[in-house]
Amino acid sequence: MRTRFLAPFLLLVACAWPATALALDEGDRAPAFSIPSLFGDGNIELGQYRGKVVYLDFWASWCGPCLKAIPEIEEMRGEFPEDEFQVVAINLDQKAKKAMRFLEKNPIGYPSAADPKGSLPGQFGVETMPTSYLIDRDGVIRYVHKGFSRGDGSRIREEIRMLLKEQKLGKN
Amino acid sequence: MMRSIRLLVAAAITLAALASTGCVAVKPWERDLLARRDMGFEPDGLEAAREAHIYWSKEASMPGGSGGGGGCGCN
Repeated sequence: MRTRFLAPFLLLVACAWPATALALDEGDRAPAFSIPSLFGDGNIELGQYRGKVVYLDFWASWCGPCLKAIPEIEEMRGEFPEDEFQVVAINLDQKAKKAMRFLEKNPIGYPSAADPKGSLPGQFGVETMPTSYLIDRDGVIRYVHKGFSRGDGSRIREEIRMLLKEQKLGKN
Repeated sequence: MMRSIRLLVAAAITLAALASTGCVAVKPWERDLLARRDMGFEPDGLEAAREAHIYWSKEASMPGGSGGGGGCGCN
């Protein structure tokens, strides 16, 4: 009698269970991707930056803190050597023109891919907007930064500095 | 009698199972349209602030916000 009700109960639990993907964390390998550029100049692949420390930033024009972070990221980009550090952005606007409108006023010097369907944040298990990942030269996530508020830039810079230094010493 | 109760229970569980699949969580990166100001309960910022102030004065607590505006769900 008890087992007769178990099956429908399990079905009920399975249906109600939220379909959440596991969020990638520090120590996990960053999934390889190849996504069209927001600017329409080919695809952006994570693999092309292998050997560099990569700062991967998920952003959207409707997300206030994402827009606050962009000028700071752009500033940060210029503070580290180009051959060792790379910023890659993934825009998640459903309509690219909204992102472009923002970028016309706040130009960036780093590549941004457009992922309107949100397949990549699904793979990374992004839990909040913005989220950024610091990926080491071997493609391993070393630091995850969720949200963005004043003062976060110095923390991120510190993490980048440590990673650049550590990997120069061959500690990885 | 017993048979009809069982049928009723089975039907209720099936309906509940089907209904529960309708609950979809909006993922953080899917808030594009929901973040639009006109998706808020009160799209007019001034009016929303006025209503919030009235609520706060009467209830000694702040009302829950709506989805309009920033909508990023962070911090």
